[in-house]
Amino acid sequence: MAAQEKKFEDELKLLEDTVARIDSGELSLEESIKAFEQGVALVRSLNQKLDEVEKKIEVLVRDSQGELRTTPYRVEVKNGDEDDDLS
Amino acid sequence: MNRQRELEFGVRRPKPLSVTQLVRAVRDALDLNLDEYWVVGEVSNVRLAPSGHLYLTLKDQRSSIPVVMFRSALVRQKMRVDDGMQVLMRGRVSLYEARGTLQFYAEEIQPRGLGALQVAFEQLKQRLSAEGLFDAARKRPIPFLPRTVGIVTALGGAALRDMLSTMLARNPNVHVLIRPARVQGAGAGADVAQGLADLNRDGRSEVIIVGRGGGSLEDLWAFNEEGVARAIRGSSIPVISAVGHEIDYTIADFAADLRAPTPTGAGHLVMPSKAELRQRLDETAATLVGAMRGVVAAHRKELGQLARGVRNPAAQLRQNRQRADEAAATLHAAAGRALDDRRRQLAHLAQRLRAPLHIAREMRIRAARTALHLARSLTAMVQERRVQSARLAAHLGRSPLRQRAATYRREITADNGRLIGGMSRAMETRRHLLAQLAGRLDSLSPLKVLERGYAVAINTRDGRVVTDAAAVEIGDELQVQVKRGRIQAVTRARET
Repeated sequence: MAAQEKKFEDELKLLEDTVARIDSGELSLEESIKAFEQGVALVRSLNQKLDEVEKKIEVLVRDSQGELRTTPYRVEVKNGDEDDDLS
Repeated sequence: MNRQRELEFGVRRPKPLSVTQLVRAVRDALDLNLDEYWVVGEVSNVRLAPSGHLYLTLKDQRSSIPVVMFRSALVRQKMRVDDGMQVLMRGRVSLYEARGTLQFYAEEIQPRGLGALQVAFEQLKQRLSAEGLFDAARKRPIPFLPRTVGIVTALGGAALRDMLSTMLARNPNVHVLIRPARVQGAGAGADVAQGLADLNRDGRSEVIIVGRGGGSLEDLWAFNEEGVARAIRGSSIPVISAVGHEIDYTIADFAADLRAPTPTGAGHLVMPSKAELRQRLDETAATLVGAMRGVVAAHRKELGQLARGVRNPAAQLRQNRQRADEAAATLHAAAGRALDDRRRQLAHLAQRLRAPLHIAREMRIRAARTALHLARSLTAMVQERRVQSARLAAHLGRSPLRQRAATYRREITADNGRLIGGMSRAMETRRHLLAQLAGRLDSLSPLKVLERGYAVAINTRDGRVVTDAAAVEIGDELQVQVKRGRIQAVTRARET
């Protein structure tokens, strides 16, 4: 879906424009309904976008071959206060 | 010896000066030189006087000079000065009159070595700036809601903790990719630059934060290296710099697309608050629903008017039918009156025919014949008129008009039916649509909002939802609806 690739801020702008268009009262009922459905779809998509990325913290390291590899970040932020500075 | 003699003999003997005059003359000579000097040396005999002035001696292998830093300059001094320190100080030379000693009046004291670094910093900054590396036109926009954030910093550093905790508190729905890098000491600059290149090669990050916590200028130096500045500019992913404290500016800061004042600031800048976004979305959704309700209400009103318009033809038909009936009745009456007139005339004629007895029998007979004839013809005429009238009456009262009216009525009824059917279908479609919309509206209803932790307060006094603190009296009982269950609360105070 094309909307899926749209950026959050672009969709938000589109939603706010849609609301303004309906609110203007210049649309016919059919156009209003179409705009409303588009708005509802945008609200759903935007809410989804807020939740869709799963929290994940990873470390990018080079393995023995010099290739980039991703490993999980083991230190939880909340308990991280006792960590010593590595540098 | 010569000079001694000259003095003794009064030759060229000037008036003798007081000590004060002499010292002041020297001081004035010195003060004529308004130049400030940067002097390098080692600190000794540091003493802070009760007056708040700082006294010390600055020396090198061969010479020394007393130094005073007045309180006014000392309060601006960030670095503490201790015995044995190699320092660089800025100030002027003058004479301390009370002792007649030379003194250095320091305005600023910096640790030694900084001067060289600062020069290097300024030179690099100027060169890269002339090259256009810091141009505002080169700054790329930072993505509004990045899904993946790259970080180049020390793995165990406080900077990383600050960045992560701030960013995740604002929005936990993010993928963070940390490229650990040495951030101070030999090779740190090269490692930071390689880190930026690695994250670019990985390609998943939508924005990169590069930085470290606060420290001395030497500690932050990696971020003043040309290689780091070029790696930042060379990154195809936008870069936020987050080096040291608010007051520390590095070359990396100038090169970056966005400078965060601190690592915590970077966490803040890189990620919008999810709660705020959700609230904005909820508000916009509510406005959307409200706007649509307005549209629906306006159209419902219009539909009502249309439906009334559809009922009108039936009334029109009734009126027309009544008018036709009235016209038929009028015609009936008129025809009846015409017949009566004829009848009266005939009766009158008949009476006159019967009257004169003295008229001769023949005459009478003729008259009778004639009368009979006349009567017959008149009767025939009357009959004809009657038939005509009846036909007219029938014609008027019955068939064509009635039929036409009936046809019209049927047609109108059919039209009516079609119209009402069409409108009903249209209204049914709309009603169906409205029902669907209502379903949609429900999905955006307050209950969904409650699930996110909002609460609805209902004033039990009037059963109204509380949207205005002014509508609540002290002592009012409020029923607070939350996601699960209700809470009874009593109003103790309110702010409007």
